[in-house]
Amino acid sequence: MHRRSFVRLLAAAPLAGTLQKFSGIPALRVESNYAPAKVPGMPGPYPGRVVSVKSDKAVDIPTGRADDAIVREMMAQGMRTLTGAASTADAWRRFFQPADVVGIKVNCGGYPHCISAYEIVAEVVRQLTGVGVPATQIYVYERFQNQMDECNYAPHLPEGVQIVAAERANRNVDNSGYDPATYLEADLFGEEDTRSNIMRLVSQRLTKIINIPNMKDHGATGVTGCLKNVAYGSFSNVARTHSRGKSYTYSVVGTLAAMEPLRSRTVLQIMDGLRGVWHGGPFARTTRYVFYPRQIMFATDPVAVDRLLLDIIDNERRAHGAISIWDRSPASLKIDDGRARDADPNVNIIIREPGHVEYASTLGLGVHDLKKIKVEQLTV
Amino acid sequence: MTALVVLALSLPCVYWPFSAETRSPLDAAGITQICVPPDRVDSWRAAGFTVTPLTDAELAARERLPAPGTTPRPGIASPTRAPWIDASGWRFARHPAAKYVYDLPAGKAPLAAAEAFAYGVDAVLKIDLADPADAVRLGQMLTFLASLPPLDLPAVADVGIVDDGSVATGEVMNLLARRNLLFQVVQSASSGFPVTIRIGTPEYTREEAADPSAFAQKIRRQLTDERRALRVYGSEVVICRLTADAGRARLHLVNYGGREIEGLRIRVRGTYGGGEVHVAGAGRLALEDRVVSGDATEFTIPRIATYAVVDLGSAR
Repeated sequence: MHRRSFVRLLAAAPLAGTLQKFSGIPALRVESNYAPAKVPGMPGPYPGRVVSVKSDKAVDIPTGRADDAIVREMMAQGMRTLTGAASTADAWRRFFQPADVVGIKVNCGGYPHCISAYEIVAEVVRQLTGVGVPATQIYVYERFQNQMDECNYAPHLPEGVQIVAAERANRNVDNSGYDPATYLEADLFGEEDTRSNIMRLVSQRLTKIINIPNMKDHGATGVTGCLKNVAYGSFSNVARTHSRGKSYTYSVVGTLAAMEPLRSRTVLQIMDGLRGVWHGGPFARTTRYVFYPRQIMFATDPVAVDRLLLDIIDNERRAHGAISIWDRSPASLKIDDGRARDADPNVNIIIREPGHVEYASTLGLGVHDLKKIKVEQLTV
Repeated sequence: MTALVVLALSLPCVYWPFSAETRSPLDAAGITQICVPPDRVDSWRAAGFTVTPLTDAELAARERLPAPGTTPRPGIASPTRAPWIDASGWRFARHPAAKYVYDLPAGKAPLAAAEAFAYGVDAVLKIDLADPADAVRLGQMLTFLASLPPLDLPAVADVGIVDDGSVATGEVMNLLARRNLLFQVVQSASSGFPVTIRIGTPEYTREEAADPSAFAQKIRRQLTDERRALRVYGSEVVICRLTADAGRARLHLVNYGGREIEGLRIRVRGTYGGGEVHVAGAGRLALEDRVVSGDATEFTIPRIATYAVVDLGSAR
């Protein structure tokens, strides 16, 4: 194993001229012993390519219930189109072999109204076992066990699939599930604990990761898409990046996603847009801000998907007369006032950093320029 | 024998003003050493207890300490990640020879006992043993403290602070300790530490010291994290005291958070070969994931509920 340890002084990084002006990018030190794969999973073999499959029949809006058969068909068409494979099984074989230990990074933060759909997660598991990956080598994971317990994927999955988390809850007391040798070190707000460590599961067990985020607004990042879901969902101590109105997510999200071995092992992005959240994210405690894009995106490039997601969320907000995710006005800011934010979609509690998606592109994680992103639209 | 005497002296003493007929909660808790009013000494000794006489005047003369733990301070400290901590380590560092008394509500006695022991001060615990389980927990902590191998090493510090006796300087010490910025009270600014603070000078003004949290951050920046003798990763509620000589180190860790922490990562400046951790409630455990990197040694403490002591040996 090649040892790699370096200081990434992001303030001095050559940023593209089109990047939004951003002051105060912190120094971030990456510590990892893992070398990148020959072709890292992100952006993988299909940079700048996104397959979007829509179906009006995917979700029954009055009940919020997804149609399992429709979702399966959306998944099959999406994977075949992304890979160009003749069969669905062949499409999955492009990514996974029977010896792989596969992590499925779900998103449970939007329980009960917007989490990685049971139908999608179950279909992913079905396809993995179909290409020979034993159920016991499949790990559905999140950071917090209490969130996993709420979502309760077990009844939807075959026996043997592992459902795991690194911490019992978001209490900052369970560190044993994290790898002490692989971390991002940064002093953001003067916190004493300056490290964010990768989950041991990711660094020491998994060989491949499938990322299943939701189409959600996020109060600190603008959206919580592929990048945020896999990065903040695989490292400890990340809530420290946004506090008291200010967010360092602009650079931290991409930097975490680019860390090895996470970058190399995350080989497939399945953006669950059956349901979405246009405000108040990443949570969805009420249906007030839930909407139904009824689409699933397939890609290996997380930046391209998230670039599309920025517009999806912003357009939905605009349709409801809400301020843009790009709004940085102090007039919209009510620091730490979660109630005001939940009551009024024109309130920010932190100035969002949707520019984190473009920043991630500068780290080589994918394509941000809409003109260079090829979107293939399918309808089921 | 000398070491045993020193150890016995450094164990906090449970103040028990009642007659020997009230021994049952102490017996149930396994508490055998107590401080009592002079007129009760003989009866308690006759009952088989190790007793230190303590008059009302002596008790009143002791410096009163707040019950240790976390406290909600909306707008000042994060209620979840980095809550406000009531801790007295800075007081002990400021006045190590003083005599102290805790007047403790239920549930706080084990933490107070550990805190006082970590700094080796003379402390009396006035306790509320209404809940028998509380008494048992205190007894277990005292038994654990008494079982630790004696090791008296000099305190390690990165920062010198000239004590003018003011409240402001005390609050600065409080916040330095809160952030595990190890300090020592010194007589002059030319103390030989990387950073020495004398509040009221142009470099460390009283106006700055009025915000002790920001002031502590300034000191941290001046010192730099790389030069710190101690770093704690994985919690913002563990406060440490580090002692060391040329070949050995002992690190006391007090967890004020009230929840057991798993996998606490520690970085200690210096190269150490082996080590072990004594964890209250769990006994002697091996240090995990130990690495020596540069001029520092890192390791993980598998778990800590209230208190733990790490002993490190020199590298061969």
